[in-house]
Amino acid sequence: MIQVEHVTRRFGELVAVDDVTFSIGPGEIVGFLGPNGAGKSTLLRMLATYLEPCAGTLRIAGLDARTQALAVREKIGYLPEHNPLFEAMRSRRFLDFLGRVRGLTREERARRIGWCSERLGLAAVLDRPIRECSKGYRQRIGLAGALLHDPPVLLLDEPTHGLDPLQVVAFREFLHEIAQGRAVLFSSHILAEVATISSRLLVVQRGSLILDGQVPELAARAKQEHTDLEGLVVHAIRERGGRVELA
Amino acid sequence: MSARAWRGALVVAGRELGAAFDSSIAWVATIAALLATTSVFMNGFFLAGKLDMRPLFELLPLLFVLYMPALSMRSWSEDLRSRTFELWMTLPLPPGAIVAGKYLASIALLALFLAGTLPVVALLVWLGDPDLGRIASGYAGAFLLGATLLALGSFCSALSADQIVAFLSAAFASFVLVYLGEERVVAVLDGALPGLHLGSFLSEHLSALPPYQSFLRGSLSLGACAWFVGLALLFLALSTRAVRRNRA
Repeated sequence: MIQVEHVTRRFGELVAVDDVTFSIGPGEIVGFLGPNGAGKSTLLRMLATYLEPCAGTLRIAGLDARTQALAVREKIGYLPEHNPLFEAMRSRRFLDFLGRVRGLTREERARRIGWCSERLGLAAVLDRPIRECSKGYRQRIGLAGALLHDPPVLLLDEPTHGLDPLQVVAFREFLHEIAQGRAVLFSSHILAEVATISSRLLVVQRGSLILDGQVPELAARAKQEHTDLEGLVVHAIRERGGRVELA
Repeated sequence: MSARAWRGALVVAGRELGAAFDSSIAWVATIAALLATTSVFMNGFFLAGKLDMRPLFELLPLLFVLYMPALSMRSWSEDLRSRTFELWMTLPLPPGAIVAGKYLASIALLALFLAGTLPVVALLVWLGDPDLGRIASGYAGAFLLGATLLALGSFCSALSADQIVAFLSAAFASFVLVYLGEERVVAVLDGALPGLHLGSFLSEHLSALPPYQSFLRGSLSLGACAWFVGLALLFLALSTRAVRRNRA
C-alpha cells in the first residue's frame, strides 16, 4: 500500500529526510516515532504529495506520488500536523465541502458524514462553526475529513494531539477497528502512545530511519538487552548522535 | 483543465464565496464601494442633469484600484497564514482549479457590485431615453477591468501570508497598471525623456485605461476584450505558479 524507496528531502543545506526506505501493507497500523524535527512530518507531507522528494520514489496503492499526485490524493486520508481547518465554516458544511471536492454524491456525503459523526462523536458540533469547537472536537473533525471518502491509506500527523486520555483510548480502539484492509501510518513523539496503538514501529532521527520492527519483536529484543522498549528507542537515538533531554 | 477539475473549481468558488461573506470585509467593501460610487455620481447627475452614465464609469478605475485588492487580498494570504494552504494542496484538485475557483468567487462579488449599480440605470430609463448600448458597453468594460485587477490581486495574495502586504502590493500594482494611461502621467513621462515617448508607449501597450475608455465610448472592440482577458489569464497563470512554489 505504501512504498518508500531511498527517499531524500533537503531544505537548502538541511537534510530533513535522508535515504529512507520502508513499506507498509494493508491492515498494518504503523507508528512513526522520533524527536521533534526528526523528519516525521516532512515524510508524511511527501506521502500526502504536499512536498516532492529530492530523490527516491514514493508509491501509494501502486501510484507514484510525484507523477500521479492527484490520483494518490484520491487514495489517502491525511490529517496534517496542526490540523488546519476552515474556522468560519460549520463542521457539517466543512465535511460536505470535502465530500463534494472528492466527487461524492449527495447520498454518499450524507451517509459518510453520518458515519463519521456517529463513530467520532461529532453530533453535538456538526452545526457549530469550527472556531467554536474545543481542541478535541477539532482534532476529531480533522480526522472525519481524512476518513470521509473511505480511503485505503491513512496518514495521520500527531492525531492524538489535543485529545484527553479517555479520548486517546477511544481513538486507539477506533483506529484498530477501521484499520481492516487499510494501511495506517501515524506520527507521534510519545513512545507509550505509539507502542499501544500500532503493530509496528518506525523510529527516525535526523531524517534517517534508525529502527523498524514489529512492536512485540522490538519488546523481545529490548528484554534480551536487559532494558524496555523505551530504553531501546532512547539508545538507538543516542547512538545516532541524538540528545534525549527536556529542552 | 478537465471537466472534473472545473467541477472542483465551482465547488471551491462556492466555499470561497461563503467564506467571503462570513468575514465582514466583503460586505463592508462592497457596500462602501456602492455608496461611494452612487453618491458621487448622483451628486454630479443632479448638477449636470444629463441622462448619461459615463461619469459613473469614469469613477470606477480609481475605485477599483482600492476595491479589487480589498476583495482579493484574503484569497491566498489567509490560507498561508492559517496553514489551510496545506489542506488545499492535498485535495485531489490541481492548483490551477483551486486558483480558478477562488477567482470565480471574487468575480461573483464584482458582479454583485455591478448589479448594485443597476438602480441607477433604472432611474435613467425612468427619467428619459439614455443610450442603453453605451451603458451596456460601459458595464462590459467595468467588468473586464475589475476582473483583470482581481486576477492581479490573486497573484499578489499568493505571494504573501500577510493580507495587508497583499492589499498594498495589489493596490500599488493596480494603480500603476491603470494610471500609466492617464493623460497627465503620460505627459510627465514623455516630457522626462523627450524623443523616447516612454509615456505614450507605456500608455498604449501596458495601461488598462485606454482599452477601458474605448468601452466607455461605446465601442466593444475585440482587441480591448482580448487585452483584458489575456492579462487576466497571465495573472492567473502567475498565481498558479506562485501557489505551486509556496508548497516547496
